Amino acid sequence: MLTIRGIRKTFNPGTVNEVRALQGVDLTIEPGSFVIVLGMNGSGKSTLLNAVAGSFFVDEGTLTLAGHDVTKWPEHKRAKLIGRVFQNPFSGTAPTMSIAENFALASKRGHARGLGWALAPNLMKPLRDRIASLKMGLEDRLDNAIGSLSGGQRQALTLLMATWLKPELLLLDEHTAALDPKSADQVIQLSDEVIQRDKLTTLMVTHSMQQAVSLGDRIIMMNRGRVLHDIRGAEKKRLRPEDLIDRFEEVRRRELLDESAAAMLNELYI
Amino acid sequence: MTLLIGALIIGLILALLALGVLVSFRIFSMPDITTDGSITLGASIAAVLLVQGVNPVLATLAGALGGAAAGATTGILHTQFKINSLLSGILVMTALYSVNLHVMGRSNVPLMQATTLASFGEKLGEWLVGSKTIHILGWPVASADAAVLVLALGFTAAAGAAMFVFFRTQLGTAMRATGDNPQMIRALGSNVERNIILGLALSNGFVALSGALLAQYQGFADAQMGIGMVVWGLASVIIGEALTGTRSLGLTIVGTIMGSVLFRLLVAIALRWGLNPNDLKLITALFVFAALVLPGFIEKLKRRAPTAT
Ligand SMILES: Nc1ncnc2c1ncn2[C@@H]1O[C@H](COP(=O)(O)OP(=O)(O)OP(=O)(O)O)[C@@H](O)[C@H]1O
Ligand SMILES: [Mg+2]
Repeated sequence: MLTIRGIRKTFNPGTVNEVRALQGVDLTIEPGSFVIVLGMNGSGKSTLLNAVAGSFFVDEGTLTLAGHDVTKWPEHKRAKLIGRVFQNPFSGTAPTMSIAENFALASKRGHARGLGWALAPNLMKPLRDRIASLKMGLEDRLDNAIGSLSGGQRQALTLLMATWLKPELLLLDEHTAALDPKSADQVIQLSDEVIQRDKLTTLMVTHSMQQAVSLGDRIIMMNRGRVLHDIRGAEKKRLRPEDLIDRFEEVRRRELLDESAAAMLNELYI
Repeated sequence: MTLLIGALIIGLILALLALGVLVSFRIFSMPDITTDGSITLGASIAAVLLVQGVNPVLATLAGALGGAAAGATTGILHTQFKINSLLSGILVMTALYSVNLHVMGRSNVPLMQATTLASFGEKLGEWLVGSKTIHILGWPVASADAAVLVLALGFTAAAGAAMFVFFRTQLGTAMRATGDNPQMIRALGSNVERNIILGLALSNGFVALSGALLAQYQGFADAQMGIGMVVWGLASVIIGEALTGTRSLGLTIVGTIMGSVLFRLLVAIALRWGLNPNDLKLITALFVFAALVLPGFIEKLKRRAPTAT
């Protein structure tokens, strides 16, 4: 389904701000699998998702999605295959436009947009039903500007928008991180429902160990722009939050060791 | 009365310019100074064609298309060559100054003898009414003027309605979303760069349409006629927002048209009371400055007030 071969990305190459955000990532994601992406701050999780979505082109390597080599496809073209929910609730919706208009936009993801009426009558009925199923009372506010809603409501709607047309791949980048715990739980539950129901191939970034063990069928732990652990199958099922925390500790210890070693070398030789 | 009708007609014609500025400034959040060049471009193209005896409708359309091409150029400079949007507009506006002189072959093209939409309207009015004057609310009005006013009103209303409908289509909604949240609409598969180019083409098409009509109404095209017009458009948009608010697209469009007419009326009255025409641009600029700054300033005062008591 998604095949990532040796991708690398360096930001600001050749300057003092050079960051090697991805240093050779290889991954194959089977159709219908729900992959949790873990890793410390700055380990390259968002960069990986952005590389897949096409926010920038990778320096090296190839990306194949649903049988297409998308490595050179611009972001808006890849959007035909990809649904996305961002960390920031403001990123996924057009704030001054109504809920209905936002969905009208989503209902055309990856399709040519012509001079047909955006709020097509045959869109409104399923839209109202689907939004009513959220039980947030939003079905009566379809004409309200989406910017007037809470972050949790917006993330729930963004998720519905991203999956309105079934995407080949769903990318969720800490999409509940900016929400209060209750809304976060709601949105997570909704995400799981949608993913299970439509059997969506999903990459979900999170910092929550709880989510990592209870959701999905595979965990990828990233460190310094590489995939460090890949946990799947029975091992994933057995995994407890403590096991994950141990693995993080191990990474942290190694980083510290690296740092003290570097400091020692510095003192010795410079 | 003639003065009033003249002001109304010019206000309605310039409402098309204001609608163009509404698209660039409010929908795409890009104050686009290409406007100053494209209004003149629309006027020059239409004037030159009219002098050659081309059908006025075709000449007007050609002027509008010229403006759309200018707007698309600004969009291409901005999106494909990554030049700051303001600078892209400045470059195209500057280039258009020469282009306009070339189109006209000199700095001014009079349209005295040519058949224009205005002269057509005047004749139509006299033919319909059957006399040179008509009484409206007891006031004698040249039937030619009355007919042109009705035509201008119909034309501007139709253009406003067309814009409203366009921005409710799939493509139009995607263009609005481009100004609202480019990241979102890109993730939904719309080409943001193309949308911006299209949007600036649409904006400047309206502006040039306004120029083409203005030239026909005032009877000449002039290389200088575009100076400061973007600020004029901004003023109309801002007055419109004060009149109707920005709650919906339809209201904003209606407001912009009303804003343009009202602003033109105020200017006509001020000039009549002895305002020096040379001060007009200064006052327009000051007005826009005040409209941009005052709301924030008043907010500040309001917030400060409770602590003072
Ligand atoms: N557009 C960019 N320009 C420059 N540097 C960037 C850019 N995007 C990411 N980086 C850098 O790349 C590295 C990886 O960032 P990334 O956002 O992928 O981390 P992350 O794993 O998502 O972290 P977090 O958990 O904090 O979200 C960081 O050092 C970051 O500063
Ligand atoms: Mg991140």
